[in-house]
Amino acid sequence: MEQQRDSSIKIEKDDEILTIRVGIPRCLLFYQYGVVWEKFLQELGAEVIISGNTTRATMDNGSDLDEVCLPVKVAFGHVNELCGQVDYLFMPRMVSVSEGQYMCPKIIGMPDMLRSNIPGLPPVIDVDVDLRQKKRNLYKAISEIGQVLGKGSLQSFYAWHKAKKVQRRQEIQNVHAGRKRVALIGHPYIIQDRQLSMDVIERLYKLDLDVVTPEMVENSQADSAAKIIGKKLFWTFSHHMAGAAFAFMQPPHAVDGVIFMTSFSCGPDALTAEIISHHAQDQSIPYMLLTVDEHTAEAGFVTRIEAFTDMLKRRWAVC
Amino acid sequence: MLITYPHMGTLHIVLKTLFTSLGRPVLTPPPITKRTMELGAKHSPETVCLPFKVTLGNFIEALEQGADTIVTCGGVGPCRLGYYAEVQKGILRQLGYKFDIIAIEPDIVDVLKNLAKVSHKKSLREIYYAFQFAGTKMGVLDTVKKAVTMLRPRQKTPGIADVIWYRAVKDIEDAETIPKVTAILEETLTAIEKHKRQDVQPLRIGLVGEIYVTLEDFINQDLERVLGNMGVEVHKTMYLSDYVRGHLLRKKEYLDKYEELFTVAKPYLGHYVGGHGLKSIGYTVQMSQQGFDGVIQAYPFTCMPEVIAKNILPKVSHDMNIPVLSLVYDEQSGEAGVMTRLEAFIDLLKCRKNRAMVKQAYS
Repeated sequence: MEQQRDSSIKIEKDDEILTIRVGIPRCLLFYQYGVVWEKFLQELGAEVIISGNTTRATMDNGSDLDEVCLPVKVAFGHVNELCGQVDYLFMPRMVSVSEGQYMCPKIIGMPDMLRSNIPGLPPVIDVDVDLRQKKRNLYKAISEIGQVLGKGSLQSFYAWHKAKKVQRRQEIQNVHAGRKRVALIGHPYIIQDRQLSMDVIERLYKLDLDVVTPEMVENSQADSAAKIIGKKLFWTFSHHMAGAAFAFMQPPHAVDGVIFMTSFSCGPDALTAEIISHHAQDQSIPYMLLTVDEHTAEAGFVTRIEAFTDMLKRRWAVC
Repeated sequence: MLITYPHMGTLHIVLKTLFTSLGRPVLTPPPITKRTMELGAKHSPETVCLPFKVTLGNFIEALEQGADTIVTCGGVGPCRLGYYAEVQKGILRQLGYKFDIIAIEPDIVDVLKNLAKVSHKKSLREIYYAFQFAGTKMGVLDTVKKAVTMLRPRQKTPGIADVIWYRAVKDIEDAETIPKVTAILEETLTAIEKHKRQDVQPLRIGLVGEIYVTLEDFINQDLERVLGNMGVEVHKTMYLSDYVRGHLLRKKEYLDKYEELFTVAKPYLGHYVGGHGLKSIGYTVQMSQQGFDGVIQAYPFTCMPEVIAKNILPKVSHDMNIPVLSLVYDEQSGEAGVMTRLEAFIDLLKCRKNRAMVKQAYS
């Protein structure tokens, strides 16, 4: 009897059934922190499963929710996809990542909305990450995540230290001489998601435009450019987006046009877009607001981009 | 310096008293009308929440009439309210108005700093009195409003509650000293007692949600009165005095209450999400424990904290066995649609109550 039990444990170990499978949905903050999260969890000995690219089905899956913005609906689709495949769902509650600033409330409330609306949800690793008052809270969050996966604090810190070094993959875009340059401002989880954004970046390239996005602007540069607004925006990403937009609009190398891409009913964007549009008007730079939701039709979308591009190209050609 | 401020329920009376006592002339914006909403919606971003649009409309109408200083509130997020002032300033400047804007941040130091700007050659003693006076009016208005809401489903003569309310508001607005205000309170409360029937057992409904929509009767289409006239006792969880004492003065009893709500809401929502989202959930849990018949959640379209609460409330409603109705308002809310939903909800609650009573009688 004793021997049997021993051998059964041994078999499990051999087959590596003991690895914990942790799922990361490809949505929202994944586009900023996904690579680091993945490496971190792997260093902690977990098997990481990332949901696939967004599809039409992912969008439809999340439409059970009322009134939330499209990225949150898409996030639900991704979590649905992971359900049943993983032991844990990695969705830390990102309250704040910088001093005095918040994340969007919907991101803060994400783990709770998931729990209330998805039956059969695997346990969620929803450790609070709140650096609003103290930067050191990050280490608290790291050791808490380690605890869930059965690792000590020291091991977790080491894993984080290694994961932190992984650089975000930066797509280097060639700058073409003579091309008009457009700043595409929007949350990474909208403009980097090909389904959600209707592949807007690719479409703009095909129309002979150079595209710059907020991710190409360093935090420090965005910070200093954002100083022209009277009150600092208290949402980290909106602050970065506004700062990046202002940096792109700075003479003498100002962009030729600004496209602000948002999803319908995005709260912070409603105000950020307004501030950016005021600034663009002051600088007389053409500005367009592109709003997407799950009903956006491709034809109308393409027409608007094409019209905007034509306008940019002809703008100075006439005189 | 001609000061103006946004409308929100009876806020204008409190602010008028405050600034007048501080020695500044004020211009209360014209009451909110369809035109205010249209003006505001025309110049606002499309998907911003309703309070932004309406207060912008208020400011435009006040500036048209000659006001030159706007006093409004600030905030630290993550709710959008905290950033209203900055964006509204930009929009109004683009429209070509010349004005100053004073955004009061919710901390006592900032309030005092701005106070120096608005008080006109007043001693500390007079400033203290001005605050006390305005504070008294605020407290009395809220007390009267609560009593009137209790009276409405029990009134002996239909409509008497409204008469008492409007008369009291007028009197309080005109009152010039603190003793006068307290005298009005006494008087009104006696009048209310006189007109109250004691033999009625109305349905009890909790009203949770966003502060602006629950306080401003034009926006919520007189929700409290409509419900009261249907014979429902409405318990509003949000009053102006609660907000000022809880958020600005940080009184201990309010902070304790918040802790309590946080504890009961924790299984459903584990973190503050801005605005009143967490309170909506906490109050719903508490009200079900206190035996309320139902809860109504009211908020403006796209309000971020309440949208989160709304997506969690069905679960709360299911677990705690209490019906919850979410009402969303925007500048296009039709009256008939809201009425139909309210009537259906009240019918449902009555039916539930009767069934429970029958069950009790037979068991």
